[in-house]
Amino acid sequence: MSRLPADDIYAGTPRQRRKTSRNARVVKTPRPLLRMPPPIKRLQRQAPMLAIQGLSELSGRLRDLTGHEVIDMARVVELMQFVYRQQQLARRGADYAVDDFGFDAEWTESFLPLFKILYRDYWRIETAGIEHVPAAGRALLVANHAGVLPWDGTMIKTAVFAEHPNPRHVRALVASLFMGMPVLSWFLRRTGQTVGHPDDTRRLLDRDQLVLVFPEGVRGTGKLYQDRYKLRRFGRGGFVSTAIRSGAPIVPISVVGSEELYPMIGDVAPLAKLFGLPYFPITPFWPWLGPLGIIPLPSKWRIQFHPPIHVEVHPPEAADDQNLVMGLADQVRDTIQQGVYDNLKLRRGVFV
Amino acid sequence: MDFVHADTRQSVIGKLVRQLRIDTVVHLAVVIDSPREDRATHETNVIGTMNVLAGCAGPSSPVNRLIVKSSQAVYGARPEYPSLIVEDSAGFGRAESSVSRDLVELEQLTHDFALRNPGCRVARMRLGYRMTRETSLGRYLSLPLVPTFAGFDPRLQLLHEEDAAEAVARAALGAQEGAFNVAGDGIVVLSQAIAIMGARATPVLPPYGRWASRVAVRLATGVRIPVHMADLLAHGSVVDCSRLQTEFGWRPAYSTRAVLDAFALGQTEEPIESPSPPQEYELQVYLQRRRRERRDGRGSAALALSR
Repeated sequence: MSRLPADDIYAGTPRQRRKTSRNARVVKTPRPLLRMPPPIKRLQRQAPMLAIQGLSELSGRLRDLTGHEVIDMARVVELMQFVYRQQQLARRGADYAVDDFGFDAEWTESFLPLFKILYRDYWRIETAGIEHVPAAGRALLVANHAGVLPWDGTMIKTAVFAEHPNPRHVRALVASLFMGMPVLSWFLRRTGQTVGHPDDTRRLLDRDQLVLVFPEGVRGTGKLYQDRYKLRRFGRGGFVSTAIRSGAPIVPISVVGSEELYPMIGDVAPLAKLFGLPYFPITPFWPWLGPLGIIPLPSKWRIQFHPPIHVEVHPPEAADDQNLVMGLADQVRDTIQQGVYDNLKLRRGVFV
Repeated sequence: MDFVHADTRQSVIGKLVRQLRIDTVVHLAVVIDSPREDRATHETNVIGTMNVLAGCAGPSSPVNRLIVKSSQAVYGARPEYPSLIVEDSAGFGRAESSVSRDLVELEQLTHDFALRNPGCRVARMRLGYRMTRETSLGRYLSLPLVPTFAGFDPRLQLLHEEDAAEAVARAALGAQEGAFNVAGDGIVVLSQAIAIMGARATPVLPPYGRWASRVAVRLATGVRIPVHMADLLAHGSVVDCSRLQTEFGWRPAYSTRAVLDAFALGQTEEPIESPSPPQEYELQVYLQRRRRERRDGRGSAALALSR
């Protein structure tokens, strides 16, 4: 494509220029299929702003009427920020970094508003003893596991990130079974989870991370409603050996409320075997109501972080001392079990 | 430097090694990225390695250093593996692809050889996946629309060709023994790799039924995905290279991200022309010539052997 230099375009008189100039071709922007009239377009552009204004007015009126906050504007703004953040993240292309485990901190933090809504408004979680989680350095968090889906893990992660004075990401260990499942595997890895393998635990602890482990495993999540609040066997104490080897203190965590999410009244073993699952739950809502049965019940939760058990005082060789390891594992289990009973007493009811 | 064509599937290596008093053998005739996994691949990998090992074995052998090429594919790609695989975890669990099975067998043979021949220091180099226009991974990621397994976004780790060559060369000159993972630092996830290549990920392959997916990809795009690569594209595989770093004092210059960037920018090496099929008589002529040279008091030390 040949073009005249800028000097030549403006050379000569306007008449000469008119003679030599050719008609410029105007390139139009492609026309949309459905053309909106200008007022509607203006409305589209202003819709988010108008929605916020309308909501804040409504919130003010409701506050005046009822005397307490009905629509919290801070939450609304948080939700808008979440949507905006998601749009931003979708546009970043390949320009991000994940660690060796596939953890994307930026992406994970973008989901926090959603989990905070579950944490504060849906399950109204009361957290105690968050100061027992170290602000820096390694620690092994050990919790009881219940509820058919691992909501307790997400809520412990949210608690430490939202409530701790020094927000930290907790890296939970997941049964390898879930790491082979289609959508779950990438979501879990992207949000910092990894396979429940001693190698991975050690590697994360050596990088001074907080590692969350559920020694009950799928035996905990798959227990029936009649067995609720009773902790299952704590594996073979492998988590204690790993903590001793890496010199990490153990922080026991008692979670109350996760047991009532899906009251599991039965387990269909043949179906579980067919789908390759550890259990196939039957609850009052699942599978009768289809996808609606996956909605967890709004139980009242309490999470208590117990004072750390300093297993790092033992030399690394002590990790092979089965007697010591099993003793410590029992101590951790008893602490958590006692914490569950204590918090049950503090809770007024299942849903209040 | 002399180049000799010979076939590892025939037992000529013993003759060659003993006559020329070769002290270092670098066995690279191991096919990993083969488009089809058939009898011939197995012959080359397992029987070929057996012949090389047999040639280097025995008290009369002058060989005191043996490097055997292996691959990260020896581990396979399984969801239950730790996030960073260490050298000791090879051969656990049932290998799903015949390449992985062959590699496990090949390494077992090499390990047994090392135990039986204490005079020979043996190193197995488990090289990472490479991305060139010649490899399946490179061809797959060069597609404009990359079909991926729906619901999976595995972690990938790559090794640059130059680093692979340098690792083998360093091993040949060193005295380290055992198995070593060789792969670039850091990881990328598949969707990120596709974005770096300027392509679009299309999650159209069903998460279950790898065989049908492989056939579909081959028919639709012409890219053959080996069985072990299909597992890689679902579960990913990342190895821990700390043993390489401590024992060799060296780490690959290209990180995984740098390998991808280099490939995306088209800075990869020109492919080396593959040699014509070896001829037995060529070798006989070569050996005669060397015998004559030795009588005359000449002769060079290095020798490259290819399939």
